[in-house]
Amino acid sequence: MSPEAQSRGTPIPSTENLLLDYIHKLERHRHGRSACRIRLSLLQPTNRREHQIRAALLTFDGLIRRLKGQVFALSNSDIVVIFKDVALDEVQAALIKLRFLFDDDPMLMREDEGHAAFVEWYVVDKDYQTLLRMAQSLVNEDIERRTQDKNRADEAAQPTQRQKAREPLTPALLAKLQTALMGADLANMMRRQAVCAMVGQAPPQPLFYELFFSIGELQETLLPNVDLGSSPWLFQELTETLDYRVLSLLNRHDDRSLSGDVSINLNVQTLLSQDFLTFDDGVKTNQRGTIVIELQKVDVFADLNAFLFARDFARERGYRICIDGVTVDSLPFIERGRLGIDLLKLAWDASLVEGKLPDGSTLADYVRKCGPSRTILCRCDAGNAIQVGQSVGITLFQGRHVEQLLAAETRLRGGYAKRRS
Amino acid sequence: MNLSPRDPGGPETVTQEHLLLDATERIGRVRDGRMGVHLHLSRLKPQNRQEGYLRVAGRMLEPMVSAYRGQIFLLSNSDIIFIVSQPSALDLKDHIHRLRGLFAKDPLTNDDSGDGTDHFCTIYDLTFDYDAFVEIVKAALAAARTKARASATAELKPLDAASLSGVLEKLTMLDATPFVRRQSAISLAGGGNAQVIFQEFFVSVGDLQRAIAPDVNLLGNRWMFQHLSRVLDQRLLEAMRRLRLTKAPPAMHINLNIPSLADPAFQALDQALGEAIGLGVEMQILDVLADSRAFFEAHRHLKERGRHLVIDGLNEATLNFMDVGRTGADLYKLDWTPEMQEPHRRDSILAALRHVDPAKLLLARCDSETAIAWGIDHGLQKFQGRYVEAMLAATTMGVCDKAAACTLAQCTARHAVIAGPLRQECGNNLMLDTPPLIRTPKRKAPTP
Repeated sequence: MSPEAQSRGTPIPSTENLLLDYIHKLERHRHGRSACRIRLSLLQPTNRREHQIRAALLTFDGLIRRLKGQVFALSNSDIVVIFKDVALDEVQAALIKLRFLFDDDPMLMREDEGHAAFVEWYVVDKDYQTLLRMAQSLVNEDIERRTQDKNRADEAAQPTQRQKAREPLTPALLAKLQTALMGADLANMMRRQAVCAMVGQAPPQPLFYELFFSIGELQETLLPNVDLGSSPWLFQELTETLDYRVLSLLNRHDDRSLSGDVSINLNVQTLLSQDFLTFDDGVKTNQRGTIVIELQKVDVFADLNAFLFARDFARERGYRICIDGVTVDSLPFIERGRLGIDLLKLAWDASLVEGKLPDGSTLADYVRKCGPSRTILCRCDAGNAIQVGQSVGITLFQGRHVEQLLAAETRLRGGYAKRRS
Repeated sequence: MNLSPRDPGGPETVTQEHLLLDATERIGRVRDGRMGVHLHLSRLKPQNRQEGYLRVAGRMLEPMVSAYRGQIFLLSNSDIIFIVSQPSALDLKDHIHRLRGLFAKDPLTNDDSGDGTDHFCTIYDLTFDYDAFVEIVKAALAAARTKARASATAELKPLDAASLSGVLEKLTMLDATPFVRRQSAISLAGGGNAQVIFQEFFVSVGDLQRAIAPDVNLLGNRWMFQHLSRVLDQRLLEAMRRLRLTKAPPAMHINLNIPSLADPAFQALDQALGEAIGLGVEMQILDVLADSRAFFEAHRHLKERGRHLVIDGLNEATLNFMDVGRTGADLYKLDWTPEMQEPHRRDSILAALRHVDPAKLLLARCDSETAIAWGIDHGLQKFQGRYVEAMLAATTMGVCDKAAACTLAQCTARHAVIAGPLRQECGNNLMLDTPPLIRTPKRKAPTP
């Protein structure tokens, strides 16, 4: 990663983070404001599809336009509305519309019988601390969910791990899945995970965020009893279908995901497709340098000539390229410099503690040759991964533990704001 | 702008060629300052002009073409023609240069056949060359029409998940024996002789396709084929169990996926061959990368059993872009292609060869004498391919008492199969299974 990129590393804040920030800012403007949390997450899954959530959000459109309130669409589907009391009637009206929208849902039908409320109310002045705690726990839940999704995705992509009890993916099931995915809006299965620079004890500095589909959720939703990772080749074919879904999602202009430094997973053939060219049309010239394209190692080597062609094109357009899916065992075969690739992602494995590659050479030597600021250690689920990585010179990290450190950092910032008052 | 280069051109479809002719005729009145550029991408090697490549090439030119109020046309023969108005000469040159760079691997981009003609690109200054430009545009339209009529015949469908499912179903009940082929590899033994070092047994995908999926291209989707090959492994191992030869070759090689080594059928084959007959397992580098840990484990196991490991399907690019020597394999198979002789590839080929010990390198797919001569020139000693098969058959016929009744083509075809009518037609199966000692092919052997 180039120094420019490092200094540019602005994270994309999640809605949960935005909400927390906003509540901090409200601390001195508590008076005359109310808030409500609409628990769409308690509705039946069939009632909280993307378009329904969007319809729900639309009911608050007037409020936002007249600057009387703020609306936050959380990743668990809930909506939080914070508004000036003068707009109370307007909010009530919107809520009536919303109840009407979902009135066939058991959640709303049972509401009067003492079950959890569909709408939770807060008077900002009086309930400020409650509100703050709620926002903080939402941030934590979101991070937790993201890391779980990422881990599930990793597991699904790694046929050697777990999941033996499910039935294997067959070509017939894959064909069905591909058809189902063709028209599906996968926006709510899109997840992000930060790739961070971590030097010494300093808090992680996000450089970019990997956007990926939660394979775990995809599996649960569409083929709950099937192990999508059982055949590496069928899985690879599935990723080509997913490529087109991710590109079409990112092509939608209302999507905020692409407003920062991100990486996306694509196949070489996708880079040469009309869909990618259309995506490329929508990306501003100065933004391409902030987009990293992650390619799987098998895909790179499956047709090296196609890879070289796609690489030259992508670099010419300003994208950066990262080779993904590298393990300690395949590391000796991958020479980042020779391949003309910007970044390499190595998956954490307990055997890395020994600092040796299968051919007897040392990991430290490899990292030196590959470039310490060009090697990302991913799937860092525990602190020792980062210690080991740092001990061999790696400075870039991704994974559950990194997300936890980031979350702790956010909590710390929250705490600081509180003391300030 | 329509950038799809492969629109099927029916009679009523407006093709890119039509649009190009329209545009050309329209600018006939105001030719001043306009340039027409013809990029002869149809002259690239087929592997370098895949649809995606052409799409990207068109994209690279788009900004310039729109900056100079022009139009771009992707023709059905893969050529690109664009017309621009008063372009900056530097800009034009720069874009063509970058495009040339993108296709630098292809000899077309630096081939000038000594007369200074640029075979990659022709630039027409329409102020002066308008008529010549109209001619090539009309010729392109005529060619596109002929091509559209010719290509009306059905093409094979690429393998997809649904068709693979059907293919796998048919495979479950199938005895693969009729589709198993064998091919011998030879090593130059010194003293002017060459001898067979092993026979490779494999399923002929072409024959299998004709038999069970005549409308599908089984090799048309890499990932789907990789999955299919796992099932083919099982069928091949079964067929090998039933294999009855009158005389076994010094060693047998089979192509397998790594997980298939754990298959009981493989272990049974290993046991059955015992110490007398060598066994080599050939695998693709892609398989090694897909699960390197499993690969190293499988390799260790093969070594313990004294069996050989072969990395198959290498080319100049794989040798140059990864250190295959780190697999520690016993043999590396480099696929011969006629392009390897091209002068501009020389440095790259020599670099590729330096990565592997020449004694462990085998030149595969040698379908001509040229291939063998090239290999000998580059210090290789091991060869395999159709030409080698023909040499072996010719030698067999020289010593076979039943040879008078056969042709060389028959003998070659009978060598290739392991059962069935072709083999039964041969009057001397022992001769068929006994690898002959052949004379080392000479560097410049006279044509037989």
